Amino acid sequence: MAFEQNSDVAPFGAARGANGGFAEPIGPEPAAGSEVSVPPSSRRDFLKVAGFAFAGAAMSGCERAPVEYVMAPPAQSEGVVAGRPANYASTCGGCNAGCGLLVKVRDGRPIKLEGNPEHPLSHGGLCAAGQASLLGLYDQQHLRQPLIAGKVAEWHAVDEAIRAHLDEIHKRGGAVRFLTGSLTSPTTHRLIQHFLKRFPGARHVVHDTGGGAAILAAHEQTHGVRLLPRFHFDKAQTIVSFGADFLGRWISPVEFASAYQAGRHLNGPAPRPSYHVQIESRLSLTGSKADRRLVLAPHEVGPVMSQLALRLAGKAGVELAGNELSQGLIAEEFVNQLADDLWQTRQSSLVVCDSQNVAEQVLCNFLNHILGNYGTTVDIAQPSYQQQGNDPVLKELLHEIRENKVSALFVYQCNPVHDLPEGSSLLEALQQVPLVVSCAERLDETARAARFVCPVPHYLESWSDSEAVSGLMGVVQPAIAPLADTRSILESLAAWMGKPQTASDLLRAHWEKDVFPRWPDGGTFQAFWDKAVYDGFVGLKSEATAERTFKADAVRLLPRAQPLLAGTYTLVLYAKVGMPDASHAYNPWLQELPDPMSKVTWDNYACLSPATASHLGLSDGDVVSLESRNEGGPAVALELPVLVQRGQHDDVVAVAAGYGSLLSERFVDIGPHWLQSQPTVGADGLVGKNAASFASWVEGSLRWVRDGVRLSKTGRQHPLAATQSYNLLDVPAHLALPGQERRPIIRETTVAKLQQEHHEAARLGNSSSAGELAQLEQKQSLWPVDHPATGPQWGMAIDLNACNGCSACVVACQVENNIPVVGKDEVRRHREMYWMRIDRYYIERDGEFDVAHQPMLCQHCGNAPCETVCPVLATVHSDDGLNQQVYNRCVGTRYCANNCPYKVRRFNWFDYAHDDILQNLVLNPDVTVRSRGVMEKCTFCVQRIADARGEAGGRDVRLQDGAVKTACQQSCPAQAIVFGDLNDPQSEVARLTAESRSYRVLEELDIRPSVSYLAIVRARPANDEGQ
Amino acid sequence: MADSALREFVPLIAGHKTPAQVTADICAPLERRAGGWWWLAFGLSFAAMAVGVAAVSYQLRVGIGTWGLNRTVGWAFDIANFVFWVGIGHAGTLISAVLFLFRQKWRTSVNRSAEAMTLIAVTCAGLFPVIHMGRPWLFYWFLPYPNSRGPLWVNFLSPLLWDFFAISTYLLISLVFWYVGLIPDLATLRDRLQPGIYRRLTSFFSLGWNGSCRTWMRYEVVYLLLAGLATPLVVSVHSVVSADFAAGLLPGWHTTIFPPYFVTGAIFSGLAMVLTLMLVARKTMHLEDYVTSRHIDAMTRLVLATSCLVGLAYAIEFFTALYGGNRYESFAFLNRAFGPLGWAYAIMLACNVVIPQFFWFPAIRQNFLAVFVIAILVNVGMWFERFVIVAGTLERDFLPSSWSSYTPTLIELLTLLGSFGLFFTCFLLFCRFFPVIAMAEVKAVVVEDQAESRE
Repeated sequence: MAFEQNSDVAPFGAARGANGGFAEPIGPEPAAGSEVSVPPSSRRDFLKVAGFAFAGAAMSGCERAPVEYVMAPPAQSEGVVAGRPANYASTCGGCNAGCGLLVKVRDGRPIKLEGNPEHPLSHGGLCAAGQASLLGLYDQQHLRQPLIAGKVAEWHAVDEAIRAHLDEIHKRGGAVRFLTGSLTSPTTHRLIQHFLKRFPGARHVVHDTGGGAAILAAHEQTHGVRLLPRFHFDKAQTIVSFGADFLGRWISPVEFASAYQAGRHLNGPAPRPSYHVQIESRLSLTGSKADRRLVLAPHEVGPVMSQLALRLAGKAGVELAGNELSQGLIAEEFVNQLADDLWQTRQSSLVVCDSQNVAEQVLCNFLNHILGNYGTTVDIAQPSYQQQGNDPVLKELLHEIRENKVSALFVYQCNPVHDLPEGSSLLEALQQVPLVVSCAERLDETARAARFVCPVPHYLESWSDSEAVSGLMGVVQPAIAPLADTRSILESLAAWMGKPQTASDLLRAHWEKDVFPRWPDGGTFQAFWDKAVYDGFVGLKSEATAERTFKADAVRLLPRAQPLLAGTYTLVLYAKVGMPDASHAYNPWLQELPDPMSKVTWDNYACLSPATASHLGLSDGDVVSLESRNEGGPAVALELPVLVQRGQHDDVVAVAAGYGSLLSERFVDIGPHWLQSQPTVGADGLVGKNAASFASWVEGSLRWVRDGVRLSKTGRQHPLAATQSYNLLDVPAHLALPGQERRPIIRETTVAKLQQEHHEAARLGNSSSAGELAQLEQKQSLWPVDHPATGPQWGMAIDLNACNGCSACVVACQVENNIPVVGKDEVRRHREMYWMRIDRYYIERDGEFDVAHQPMLCQHCGNAPCETVCPVLATVHSDDGLNQQVYNRCVGTRYCANNCPYKVRRFNWFDYAHDDILQNLVLNPDVTVRSRGVMEKCTFCVQRIADARGEAGGRDVRLQDGAVKTACQQSCPAQAIVFGDLNDPQSEVARLTAESRSYRVLEELDIRPSVSYLAIVRARPANDEGQ
Repeated sequence: MADSALREFVPLIAGHKTPAQVTADICAPLERRAGGWWWLAFGLSFAAMAVGVAAVSYQLRVGIGTWGLNRTVGWAFDIANFVFWVGIGHAGTLISAVLFLFRQKWRTSVNRSAEAMTLIAVTCAGLFPVIHMGRPWLFYWFLPYPNSRGPLWVNFLSPLLWDFFAISTYLLISLVFWYVGLIPDLATLRDRLQPGIYRRLTSFFSLGWNGSCRTWMRYEVVYLLLAGLATPLVVSVHSVVSADFAAGLLPGWHTTIFPPYFVTGAIFSGLAMVLTLMLVARKTMHLEDYVTSRHIDAMTRLVLATSCLVGLAYAIEFFTALYGGNRYESFAFLNRAFGPLGWAYAIMLACNVVIPQFFWFPAIRQNFLAVFVIAILVNVGMWFERFVIVAGTLERDFLPSSWSSYTPTLIELLTLLGSFGLFFTCFLLFCRFFPVIAMAEVKAVVVEDQAESRE
């Protein structure tokens, strides 16, 4: 394999310091293709360079066309040291939210994605799907070469054939359609427009798997412009969400989780966190954090919104057309209370809705309008581009395809055959389209139907940009040379237009022409470009937008709908937190990630409420057949295992979309094979079932809801693999003495109590500091501290009030620490390998329940019970307070795991597969890959501590607070995790540990855990307390 | 006293044997060709052992994952089997050493096979800690041998290390004790055998025994001393094994009652196993005259006594847990009784506490079939006791999120079967090649019996 050091990587890429901070400005570097002055090099230098070139060649795939040559610098650039990571700022391509990234590159290969702390949207957070998207780079089944009719071809052959087709269409006329997902890249948009300009009537059609098209359509009706507003959860004092899982998987979860947390902070003398009401049909991650929850069937949402609109219109003195609701009211008291709450906080409240029903979205807009939220919490002056779907246009395209009216169809970042309800008929119809070109990373369902498949690189291999919200331009820069013969969509478009150019040139040209003029600070373009690439994003002036008036005549109240037919259910499709859509189905990290609510891995399932399940005589794992016959169309049927999920409406069946993808075929062999092992995939060879056929077209919009679904028992079983099998904080009543049912593992307090405490503290003066409290704690113990700590003592504080269970930390830990994926059967046997898990408890309270998410990891106990029992001293305590596991000393008695009260130790039951050489490139070279028979567990990212010490200049240097960030802490969108030195009274972690909310789990065992948790703060009266 | 009344009518050894007859009777099975029953039993045991070897080889090849353990239940069949087999071994030492010191003459008919059983059971037990390791090829890291790893040595705080010392000491002392007791009988064999390999071996291992008064005197002194040395082991070994659990902090393990509780349980199960084996041996090897109803009666009484002690221990640990007010502790015991493994707890209670109460009735004690069935049930019950303690405790500990359940895999079941195969294979070989009854000691009892009956 030939290796050219690709110009994309070193010369343009701006590297940051090893720990994500800014390094010294890097010296002048050779520009692409330019002459490089070669300083006299010694033999030693030559060997160095040769070594690097060889190391690179060993992992690089084929180069891509058009080829650019650049000479490898005879000496490494300043600041680049072998074994020392460099960070490249980029933008996440996991979904359209456009979170800022720092790509950690070690010895030429990206090994970890970190959130960019300076990024205005994500503030350093990165979700589970974003973290996991790194694995796509090292994917064996990433398309390596273009295909013509399923056969490997050369790029020039593909280009010639496509160009010939296009010329033909140009001459004879014909409809050219470009079908994509929401594209946040302005350069790509512009190039697609440019490409389509040649063909009269050509159209760019956008389909969103996020389902946000109705919001855009509603704004077209109410404000006269198709846009998705930007929601500011941080500015909202009252948040009302109609089904929108904004902390989980709705539009931009990291941005929203970060902002949501900012609005719920508890600092200051009188903490006033925002009040959040969730109205939903199934228990979402967001619902689990809500202060108040109302469970409604989807068809009841419209009427409740109408009631609310009427109440608020009454308060505002606005006449509302159609004013009175004829039918009976739903949850009248709840709505009245909600209207009062919202009215009190008008202009700083926020109503969001995830419905695909445009009329409901219009009502939602009306609510925000009448509350005066436009301009404060709902921003349409600087809107979001994160979702751009247009369902009526998509529907028309489908119609055209079926009528054979389309001459050429280009598909990019979109998989209609899998994601649309008419997927299978579309597959047939596509055979009739003369030219189908799929620009895909993998051979997905649509790519298999396309004659031409043009592989696009992973976003870490190519140049692009991303304007996720108006005025914030993110750079997508390559962190590695493409590993396969792939070509960016920009380059493909340019080639088909007859002017082949590199993506970087296209990008620069577009930026110089269109982006740079929006830059407020002036200067040269090169300086602007350098800054943008270095920072990963630039703030721009957004185009001035005219004041838009609200068109009240679009608002229609929705009367109470007909009740469901007896014996039928409403099927609700949702996106799992770990599976945004089917394009992630290839990713084993996401497939194995436990769903934050159900804790089930590797499958999708039919969620039923406990009452419905017992009514139908179903329990977890029973296969149920779902059937629906609608509008004279073909019957839709699906068989899925049942999962009993509390907090769900009795008439609702909830099923995750994005499963049953052909991309999951690869998991047929995953996991250890032995006598009694079971396959991870189902009988059809896939993971889960595709439920897209249950989505329905109603009034021109694609809805994720379908009424009239019948359930019938099949009598078969499909066991589900959950990581948590007991879900309550209370032990079963018959196994506890009276009053001892609830375990004090989760502690709760109330806002009122906290305010009272703050008040008391202010009255008495600031009495207890962290140091004093620690001393007090030591005095209280019977046992002397036999190893007084003089140096740093690493510890962690986790704010349970901030944690929303999104599981970003779980994947971050997995990536950082080379944690293997074990497959469904092993998870079912309770042998998942996660070092960081999130325990989810339901806490019963007066017939209702609260949810608590508790990240659980090794607590690095001062008196660690695991350490005393190891016969060979394979687990020992370090003088900086870490509980260390010595892999090569471990003989695997598992006594330590048995004796661990937190059950955070993980055992290597088998030799987990590491034979995918390409995938192995993702392994973190700083962390040992464990072999069979040894115990492992959280290390507090000891490699990062060592790294920070090395950076600071040695073992004895006292590190600054915040110099070490563990992988879990770094990725947390809610910043719920703080790591640092407990022995430093000034550190953030010591401050949090001394807070009144702080407690340690199982501290009564006197094992002195180093992790403290901050109690959950509930918004209810102080006297109504759980614990 | 009922005991003395019994003794007046029933001599310990029936059939008015002369010492020569004793020698002839006991050596007879060794000098005959093996019978069909022996071959059948040996064939079955050997097959079971072979299956076990296959299962263990597979597990060593593929990984511990072939067992049903998980992140919550790190020990189950492996350690339950280990404790079970160690416990079985205890009766041997008790009968040989403790009863010897207490001058219980009835022991002479059973001590040889009990000691052999101890050795074999401890060997079976010792296998489990090795094969249960993640990396069994590194088992020697348990040894505190001088090495070049600097300060890295074994961890003397770990009960697993104490286990290692306790078991190896036990094996060593038991072996020496058994061998020393065997010397006079080896000499007898030597004198009866035709020249050949077996005679050369017995002659070597009988250490030139000449039956002189001086030899006998020294022998008696050594035996007494060894009995004295072995006696503490009856208490210490299983106390140390119990520390595996008691030194942990899990509710249900972390209990101060465990050492006496385990020792009692061990003796209980060991006696039951001796009863099982002796009842079979006396029938198949025609030793009815040597293992008489008096022996069986004495052993059933001991079983009854230890059963009551075990029952008391169960009651006390339950009471302490409920009375102590610790929510985790009380849960652990309520869960043991009424949780998912409640059925195993019920088997344990029934077999260990309820069923042995039948031994209060002399009619049952004299009915060998009933004794045989009860003895087997006691062993079943004691295995379940260990299973309940090991797996039942681990399944549900502090954090409900991590609760899980345990189901053994085929490999584990076959491994357990294999350990029984190993045990019976070894025991059958012992019966073929060694005098199962201590001839020299029985002769002394015979002579005394006859003197007593003459009086």
